[in-house]
Amino acid sequence: MSIVEEVLEITLRSLAVSGTATLLASTWSVPLAYILAKPGRLRGLIASILEALVGIPTVLLGLALYMLFSRSGVLGFLHLLYTAKAIVVGQAILVTPLITVTACRVLKSARESFEEMALALGADDLQAMAIALRESLPGVASSVVMGFSRAVGELGIALMLGGNIRGATRVLTTAIALSVSMGEYDLALYLGAILVAISVLVSVTVKLLEEVQGP
Amino acid sequence: MIALGLTAYWMFTPHVVRVRISTTTSLYQTGLLDRLAERFEEKHHHVTFEFIAVGTGRALKLAERGDVCAVFVHAPRLEEAYVERGVIVGGRIFAYNYFVIVGPSSDPAGIRGSESAAEAFRRIYRAGEGGRALFVSRGDNSGTHVRELSIWRLAGLDPQGRPWYKEAGQGMAETLVMADEMMAYTLSDISTFLSLKEKGRLTNLEVLYSGGEELINIYSAYVVESCGGAERMYAEEFIEFAAGPEGQEIVASYGEEEFGRPLFSPAASRLQELKALWEKLAGAQG
Amino acid sequence: MIIELKGVWFAYPGSRRYALRGVHMRVEGGRVVMIEGPNGAGKTTLLKVLALLYRPVKGAVLVNGDDYWSLDPRTQLSLRRRVVYVHERPILLRGSVLENVALGLKLRGVPGAISGALETLRAMGLEYLAERKWRELSAGEAQLVSIARAVAVQPELLLLDEPMAHLDEDRRELLVEILRELKSRGVGIVVASHWPQDELLRIGIDRVVRVVGGEVRAL
Repeated sequence: MSIVEEVLEITLRSLAVSGTATLLASTWSVPLAYILAKPGRLRGLIASILEALVGIPTVLLGLALYMLFSRSGVLGFLHLLYTAKAIVVGQAILVTPLITVTACRVLKSARESFEEMALALGADDLQAMAIALRESLPGVASSVVMGFSRAVGELGIALMLGGNIRGATRVLTTAIALSVSMGEYDLALYLGAILVAISVLVSVTVKLLEEVQGP
Repeated sequence: MIALGLTAYWMFTPHVVRVRISTTTSLYQTGLLDRLAERFEEKHHHVTFEFIAVGTGRALKLAERGDVCAVFVHAPRLEEAYVERGVIVGGRIFAYNYFVIVGPSSDPAGIRGSESAAEAFRRIYRAGEGGRALFVSRGDNSGTHVRELSIWRLAGLDPQGRPWYKEAGQGMAETLVMADEMMAYTLSDISTFLSLKEKGRLTNLEVLYSGGEELINIYSAYVVESCGGAERMYAEEFIEFAAGPEGQEIVASYGEEEFGRPLFSPAASRLQELKALWEKLAGAQG
Repeated sequence: MIIELKGVWFAYPGSRRYALRGVHMRVEGGRVVMIEGPNGAGKTTLLKVLALLYRPVKGAVLVNGDDYWSLDPRTQLSLRRRVVYVHERPILLRGSVLENVALGLKLRGVPGAISGALETLRAMGLEYLAERKWRELSAGEAQLVSIARAVAVQPELLLLDEPMAHLDEDRRELLVEILRELKSRGVGIVVASHWPQDELLRIGIDRVVRVVGGEVRAL
């Protein structure tokens, strides 16, 4: 395999792994954000715990999950360790607080205004929820993009759960770490540029899609 | 006020020379360099050593960029490349030990009692092709990885791309943990293996083959050519100390209390022989 | 339709302060009630309780004599659909004015929501706004559109929160006309305003209620 092919393969894997992780995380983070987007003591407590977890070190989470997935760990029987699936699970957990907290902010104002407006106009609960969600779609999309950006740029989980195995679990960040340790700074910077380009591209694409969808 | 404070600080603090040394993670983690530095600093109060522990490739790269004043490494072929370019000079061999081939205690490839490291690798290859064994490679161009590749070459085999051959692209400790999880074979330096084993991190792996010329691991120290002044002077003195009688005594006993056996052998007594082996390693693999 | 509050106390979730303190009040079809009082007195809260949006902490909300909050959800929904509350600050969805005005009808699954909305706009003299996007409206236009959206569902009770706030004189006149018309058709109207407005008097106010510190005083 040529270096270009290998870089392409790593890039595609990064996209697939972090994209899946982000979408997976969104399926529970957005509903959770919706639930938390109402005032209340318990909700406030959960929200502040999640806010604190936004900055959790990825190696720490990686280590905790490694202990779970390891042969002698509680979930060892799943044989997830050192597979791309393990990275997906780890990154999905990693970005859950970020997506939930940022989406919650958007949904909070949507629930206060749009949901109440819809109820006042005679919507049932589901209709009101659908309207609040639809109106906050651009904001929720941005928090999902932020989640993706965090996932695709993290190193600790990919390294500990994936193992940076060539042709199997090597992603952009682990490839960068490897190039740096090998003293191949040029390659590391090149891979870094791809990483940044992906994040920017995804963010801009989502913005454009919103524009097309229209005001 | 601040300016005054800084001036006072400069005037009344004895000037300390800080010598930066890059080294490989595996060597640094044994603690040998810290022990050597401690002893040296006892006699030289105005110097302090700062070790930057990174991968072998990066350790040499740091030297090339002039970010460090000395390097302590164990990858003859890579060292040779930097020596040729004049980046590092004054090489001294200060210690050696042997790489070990580790694997699951059940030894599915049956490498115990192999006649040579190359023979052991051939057996792993055969078992791998038969679906009975896995091998985890460092895959990071480190000294250990370079050695592993040279043994495959000696065995006349190329495992790259085989499904049972996993290129980890990580440090020694991570690679060992992976091999342990996967019940796979790998090549390791003895000290990283023993320290992880002692911490109970490796439940399945055992040393299955060791010793022999093919597995010798030679540790050398160099001064970085671009480094100068007091820093260079102390760097040269420190390397001299490590390779000298006092340093060699520390090398000979280091690790005994923790692992019940020394991790290194002093180089001084076998220097000619080691130099010849170093040349062979530096040349043969290029 | 008659909505009656019996000793209603209300506090926002997470807050210990009561925004309403033992309120008794009654609104019904064909009558116009004006709620006045200083900012923060509880006017908006009172309107939202009347609109069946907020559930009191204590006390009862009787709709045609039934305790609303102990009814089953389906009955609640069908009753709630006969009352419409309009926010002080217009809350419009992304999309055109027409789509916004059709919203209430769509939520009820009424066939021909769009033509119904157009009819309402026409009746209110706002037809020219139909194709405008929500972002292209002035504050006054947005307020009228949000009122039109409420009118479109033909409520039996219309609750308006500071409806004059963003309107210039001509538009205030227009709104008064619309409200008079609604009253004559038997719609009950409740208007909250923090300062007395002469225009409102011309709707034919039947009763003025003053709210201070979460308590209601009939005048």
